[in-house]
Amino acid sequence: MKGIAYFILAIILFGAQAQMASAITLHAAGSTTVLPVVSTAANVYHRLHPNVTITVSGGGSGVGIASMIQHTADIGMASRDIDAGEAARLGGKVDVLTIAKDAVAVVVSKAVYVGGVHQLSLKQIADIYRGKIKNWRTLGGPDAQIFVIDKEASRGTRHVFAEAVLGDAHARAAGASVISGSNNEEQALVAHSDQAIGMLSNAWLNDAVRGLAVGEGDKAVLPDIEHVRDGSYPISRSLHVLLPKNASAEARDFADFLLSKQGQAIVRKSGYLSVR
Amino acid sequence: MLNLWMRASAWISLVVVILLLGFLVQQSWPYWQQYGLGSFFSGDWYPYESLFGLAAAIIGSFWAALIALAIAIPTGIAAAVMSTEILSRPWRSLSRSGMELLAGIPSVVYGLLGLWILLPFLQSSLHLLTGHNLLAAGLLLSVMVLPTIMVMAQDALSEVSAGQRDAAASLGMGWSERLWRVLLPQAWPGIRSGILLALGRALGETMAVMLVVGSMDHIPEPFYNLLSPAQTLTSRIGREIGESAFGSMHFSALMACGLLLASVTITISLLAHLRTEDNIRET
Repeated sequence: MKGIAYFILAIILFGAQAQMASAITLHAAGSTTVLPVVSTAANVYHRLHPNVTITVSGGGSGVGIASMIQHTADIGMASRDIDAGEAARLGGKVDVLTIAKDAVAVVVSKAVYVGGVHQLSLKQIADIYRGKIKNWRTLGGPDAQIFVIDKEASRGTRHVFAEAVLGDAHARAAGASVISGSNNEEQALVAHSDQAIGMLSNAWLNDAVRGLAVGEGDKAVLPDIEHVRDGSYPISRSLHVLLPKNASAEARDFADFLLSKQGQAIVRKSGYLSVR
Repeated sequence: MLNLWMRASAWISLVVVILLLGFLVQQSWPYWQQYGLGSFFSGDWYPYESLFGLAAAIIGSFWAALIALAIAIPTGIAAAVMSTEILSRPWRSLSRSGMELLAGIPSVVYGLLGLWILLPFLQSSLHLLTGHNLLAAGLLLSVMVLPTIMVMAQDALSEVSAGQRDAAASLGMGWSERLWRVLLPQAWPGIRSGILLALGRALGETMAVMLVVGSMDHIPEPFYNLLSPAQTLTSRIGREIGESAFGSMHFSALMACGLLLASVTITISLLAHLRTEDNIRET
């Protein structure tokens, strides 16, 4: 019994010593839209710099920005711009680095898409979220009630979407039937329904979760990288990482890595528009 | 040495509880000052419009816990009776370890099972827009609190003395009479403690509820509509605490939700404790 205890103690001490000797752990938190890029980059970076480990967690852009204000993470991730109140609380102590751009796609369940809804105008989307349009039939789709998925207020996607569609980043959505959180959760909700509408970064579209063209008549534009690049898609945005001005050399180097050739290749591979 | 250590532990746990409550009171104070008790009756929760009504989440928490108990109490007691009175010894210990295993599963696992199995099932069988609703939360919670009720009831039943059982048998009581007149009344204080503890757990559970309740901040319409997405106090805190800045009114309002939950659960567990004490004194 005593032997086992000593053995465990030895392992703990050995581990602690190894930790102290070289390893550095950085923590990144925030937007689940930026997360795939940063976590892939973190793996590649760890291979290049084995002494630096980067852990990545989600929570949403609001959480990413709050983590910079409260010093609970080394690197913040945000899929929207910082608003005035947050800027005041950050007090200019954080650098905002834009690493990518993407489109916030208006997504519907496959059955709705197949049923005939391929595009919507901003006004129609707003009417759905305000609860004025309640059935897909009104929009040329199947005769089914619209399952309106809203997102948590802290989510960057919600912020950008509400600003473009409802005119205010924090506007109420009276027509909403359910609130979702991360992109994974949203994607699962839309995929499991036959009558859902939601909002997702263009990189998360798949066969069960279809992106609609947004705009009036012939001018409707698909949410893809091409239309983000030429600026014609109406709900597009920049994806940021946030770095405190007094960040460690390792954190700064990792941020530079995201903007390097290799980092930007990861951005493109994740389905976003690279900025360099 | 051991004595000192035990005393110190007891004091530390007391101090932790007091500190915790103190922290919640202090952090939620600005909220109570500005919004007062009127916020209990308002259902509007829009942090960006400085509207922080508690009613929707309170009603949600109440319904979810009520459904959970309505299912778990009869099932848990029945299972306890079955295993202590009817099953043979090996089956009894098997059922008991099964229950203890159930209690050990992390709540996020329950939440994910709910998300993958329960919600699609509710959605298709009840023809709902979505399976996210209070019923789903209550069903999930009932499975989670079942072990508490069953294990406590089992202990209470097995403590009913052999003398009582013999007396009942020699009076020629039938099985159902023995159960209703002797076993359950004798075991009731223990069962009641189990129920109160289960209620505390049902009110405080966050992760699993958050995944299935829908997180819609509105009062169900009508208020007994259990098939509409709703919000509980815990799921609201879980969803919003990360983004609320420390010291803001939003944070203060969330701490008020936390204080409310903490005071209810502490009252419940004190109640459970006091009742058992009483009983020990009586016997």
